[in-house]
Amino acid sequence: MELPYVVVIILFCLGIYTIIMNKNLIKIVVGVNIVESSLILLLILISFKLGGTAPILDRKYELVVDPIPQALALTAIVIGGSFIAVMLALVIKIYKRYGTLNVDEIRKLRG
Amino acid sequence: MSRVHKIFRKFYKIGLVLFLAIFLLFIFDEIQNLDIKRYLSEHYISEGVQETGAINLVTSVLYDYRGFDTLGEATVILTAAATLSFMAPIKKVKMLGTEFTIIIYQTIIIIIPFLVVLGMNLIFFGHISPGGGFVGGVILAMIPILVTITYGITFSENKLKANHKSLLEGIGAIGFILLGLLGIFAGSNFLASGQANFGLGNPGELISAGLIPYLNLMIGIKVGAGLATIFNSLIKEG
Amino acid sequence: MESAVWIILLPLLTAFFLGIFKLYSDKLFYSLVIVSMVIYLYLLILVINDSYPPKVYSIGDWGLLGINLMVDSFSAMFLLIIAILFITVIIFSLNYIKVNKHKFIILTYVMIAGIAGMVLTADLFNLYVFLEVSSMSSYALTAIKKTDKSIESSFKYLIMSTFGSFFILLATILTYYLTGTLNMAEISLEFKSVPFMIKSTIMFFFIFGYGIKIGLVPLHAWMPDSYEASPIPYNVLSSGLVMKSAIYALIRLLYVIFGVEFLTESGILNIGVFWGVLTFIIAHTLAYQQSNLNRLLGYSSIAQIGYITIGLFLGNEKGLIGGSFHILNHGIMKGTLFLVLGIFYYSLKADEIEDIQGLGYKFPVLSFTFVVAALAIVGLPPFNGFVSKWLIIEAAIEAGFFYAAFFILVGTFLSLTYYLKVIIKLYTKTEKKTLIEKPDLSLKLPTFFLGSLCILFGIVPSLPLSLINNIPKFLLNNSEYIRILLGG
Repeated sequence: MELPYVVVIILFCLGIYTIIMNKNLIKIVVGVNIVESSLILLLILISFKLGGTAPILDRKYELVVDPIPQALALTAIVIGGSFIAVMLALVIKIYKRYGTLNVDEIRKLRG
Repeated sequence: MSRVHKIFRKFYKIGLVLFLAIFLLFIFDEIQNLDIKRYLSEHYISEGVQETGAINLVTSVLYDYRGFDTLGEATVILTAAATLSFMAPIKKVKMLGTEFTIIIYQTIIIIIPFLVVLGMNLIFFGHISPGGGFVGGVILAMIPILVTITYGITFSENKLKANHKSLLEGIGAIGFILLGLLGIFAGSNFLASGQANFGLGNPGELISAGLIPYLNLMIGIKVGAGLATIFNSLIKEG
Repeated sequence: MESAVWIILLPLLTAFFLGIFKLYSDKLFYSLVIVSMVIYLYLLILVINDSYPPKVYSIGDWGLLGINLMVDSFSAMFLLIIAILFITVIIFSLNYIKVNKHKFIILTYVMIAGIAGMVLTADLFNLYVFLEVSSMSSYALTAIKKTDKSIESSFKYLIMSTFGSFFILLATILTYYLTGTLNMAEISLEFKSVPFMIKSTIMFFFIFGYGIKIGLVPLHAWMPDSYEASPIPYNVLSSGLVMKSAIYALIRLLYVIFGVEFLTESGILNIGVFWGVLTFIIAHTLAYQQSNLNRLLGYSSIAQIGYITIGLFLGNEKGLIGGSFHILNHGIMKGTLFLVLGIFYYSLKADEIEDIQGLGYKFPVLSFTFVVAALAIVGLPPFNGFVSKWLIIEAAIEAGFFYAAFFILVGTFLSLTYYLKVIIKLYTKTEKKTLIEKPDLSLKLPTFFLGSLCILFGIVPSLPLSLINNIPKFLLNNSEYIRILLGG
């Protein structure tokens, strides 16, 4: 059981714990970011080979790292970043209407 | 009763997350014991340079073998920028900023041309060295963001209007699709750059790899304009 | 099959061009909308006609090295739903939406492109990317009214749906780790040598992730709020296409990648049927207590999705046909109900059940359409809802799930109670109310069109069934699908 995989699992579960337990809206958004990062870390871990070089073949290399998960990770980073941007815009709008960032207070105010 | 209820719900949620963690540990342990087959990536590594003409294999996967994913992701950025631009209020809100010293203002003016060169270098040489359209676009987006942070949003909106930025975004996206349609007109399928023999050239030169440098340019323009729009909209809301 | 890629490209190109034209001139904007709609309808009919036997289209001409698109009968049925609902909604919203009209139409085009991409692709990561495209435009459309409720419900929808996407992405990454490829046919071949425990875990992650997007109880909490606070034309598309495309993705993954033998072995079919029954019992009970019409229709949608889940998880041929037919019918019936509600809201700002009292006499033909659609959803003959429900009940009895068939009949009675409540309110006499706006023809025509389809598909069910009957051939027996995908 290699250490990087344990780190991925810890980050994933910490992020999920933050999303479902926390009461502050900004902290929920941070939790989403943590889970996103852990999944991208998992993608990079998959493509690693011990002793391989980066997949840029200006010479003939012996062992080259897998290029497919790196391309998938690029796509996932961009998509995750757009989601965080939209979430933050919504949080700012909620704050301006209600004046508080606590989920319980907002539920009470809305009735 | 309600207090016990709340504590019970808290422990129940913690229990779920712990269960998930242990479950994932088991799964990863079992997966380590299997031998993995990677014939697709081995094919890309051994044949990729001949088939697409790009020495950067990640660029060749991202723009040639799996170019459709890049189109979908460009659409996500465009939708996010469009969403944020209609959620921001039209009139400009006063931005809480500080007055910087004159050193900062002059340094920003000197840095901007270097940023342009760096961004363009990353975009154009994307298929030869690490980089590509996305990283170059992010560097190009730094220029309006820096101007907004130091000079204030009214000045920045004067120099680069929001309408022009969304026009640039639209041009980038439409350019990507039109380049893909060139493949159809050449008799092959959509986004066919390697298979349609678009002048693959010598690997390692600037003009090589068929359509890939132009696709890089379109994506760079699009990501740059999109990120600048997103930043300005978020600033205007607060 | 060259037109297949244009089904995804045309809405995207239109949306990008509309984004530029919006800054310049209005006339150009609307003429582009109408021209592209007509061309898109023509393309859809072309592809649907040519969908049996299935065709494969390789993007970039890379064959098995790249991304492939595949049109088979299940995808063709969804393209039919897109054709019916999309044209109707665009015509309706040209006059209905007052605020932010340009953004609404652009975002609807992007959403349709995302759903078309999800339905046509044969690649696992491409499915995830297009799922995110359609979800992102969905979040934007929910928040387009910018009232307090819409911002809040959009945020709740965003968080819960992203939570589901994480599990889908995790399952996709694990699948790539195990098999080394992303093509659905090759994954299905490699999966035969993967141990049972790991396959069940990946399947569980997929079901959990897609379950949040489908709206199975108890993961449905975002749905009624989002229906209450979004504009009505979006509600038609959301209940008819967005949630159903998640069902499509789940069924495609379960039946093609995992295979029917694995599903029966692991017992997920029993769990699926049980979950479907639980969903609609709870949803019917909650629907009875609602006073807001939008939320009532929302809970009714969740219940119908419970029926569809039962039909599709039965694992036999009739169940798949019944479930798919119910997907088509539900889109039409719920679309009619929402459009009538939209006209009521447009002319009187009527939102609660009390507000629509007596409207049966002011709008006689519209209220008749409402009654037709409501009876069709409950499942009475001779409407289309009856045909699909009957197929599901027959299939349940054939597969041995007697308790499911019994509960479906109970559920029919439950839904009758709350729909009757609304219909009776509609036809009680009351004092006169003043209209705010008179609805004109472009609002009424789409409603009548959808309502007449309810009657038409009920009397002549062989029209859509000729398309749907071919669906189980490629889902139950995934070797056919794999052979065509690998050979093409």
